[in-house]
Amino acid sequence: MARKRQPSKQMRLLLEALSARRREWRHGYDLMKETGLSSGTLYPLLMRMTDQGLVEAEWREPAQPGRPARHAYRLTAAGFALALEQSEDRGRLDPRTAIA
Amino acid sequence: MKAALSRAVMALAMCCMDESRHEWSAAMRAEFDTAIPEGRSLSFATGCLVAAWREMLTREEGRYTLTNYALALGVMIPMAALQIGCALFGLPYLYPGREGLSGALLVGAEHEALIRGVYQTAVTPLAFLLLLLGVGHLGIAQAMLQREWDRVRRIGTLTLAASATLVIFMGVLFLDSSQALLQGGVLAIELATIAVVVRWHAQLFPAAVDEHPG
Repeated sequence: MARKRQPSKQMRLLLEALSARRREWRHGYDLMKETGLSSGTLYPLLMRMTDQGLVEAEWREPAQPGRPARHAYRLTAAGFALALEQSEDRGRLDPRTAIA
Repeated sequence: MKAALSRAVMALAMCCMDESRHEWSAAMRAEFDTAIPEGRSLSFATGCLVAAWREMLTREEGRYTLTNYALALGVMIPMAALQIGCALFGLPYLYPGREGLSGALLVGAEHEALIRGVYQTAVTPLAFLLLLLGVGHLGIAQAMLQREWDRVRRIGTLTLAASATLVIFMGVLFLDSSQALLQGGVLAIELATIAVVVRWHAQLFPAAVDEHPG
């Protein structure tokens, strides 16, 4: 049986950030600040995750009038399921969580 | 200064992004406006450029574009510079020993006096042929970047003809044409490589080939 490929560390960070506020649409720059990822890492990751159906993206009108529309992202059901799976794995493997 | 530089880097990143990723390049551009007031515009723009290059390498269209640029800028332009330089600065490497025409004349040899006039008259047409080769390389490079394959084929044929003429002309003058033959061989290899690139382009963008059949 083919072994499922584990997400990279950067992808896990992004999954964590997006799943923390799953219903909210998040902007690229805010995600960069929250995850500490550079734009050179974040955008290829977002593109790949959107292609894989883990993230949905759409143009959202800005909160302040007169500002340009911004691209926003949130997890799909498949993306959220993967995020949950990852957090469960982490809970099982992380000794600090296990002791707690 | 920093703002202008980051805008330039951002514009370059947008240009490097594949057409199919147009929406993503617009998304990065929109976020760039958010990064400016926070003073992180340059690092953001540099990251976007890295993202565009990474994206380019993961897609076949991107790899094709990089190959085309590498061939045009890394091979055709240096070859053009070499030939134009050779034509303008006295044909130094066209003759054995890289001593220019004086080397070919066998300065001081007995027959120098007999052939000097003929050879000196030949300098202008030889330089013109070399200039044609150089300009031909430049034209091919430009047409390659614009993906005008019909023009590449036309200029390539003319350049090859100029190269063959150069070899024949040098042969008629009893000059050692090994360097010119070498140049002709290099040109033939370049054109064969371009033919592979044209076939790759046709596979990737069949619609473009239908519009401009080469």
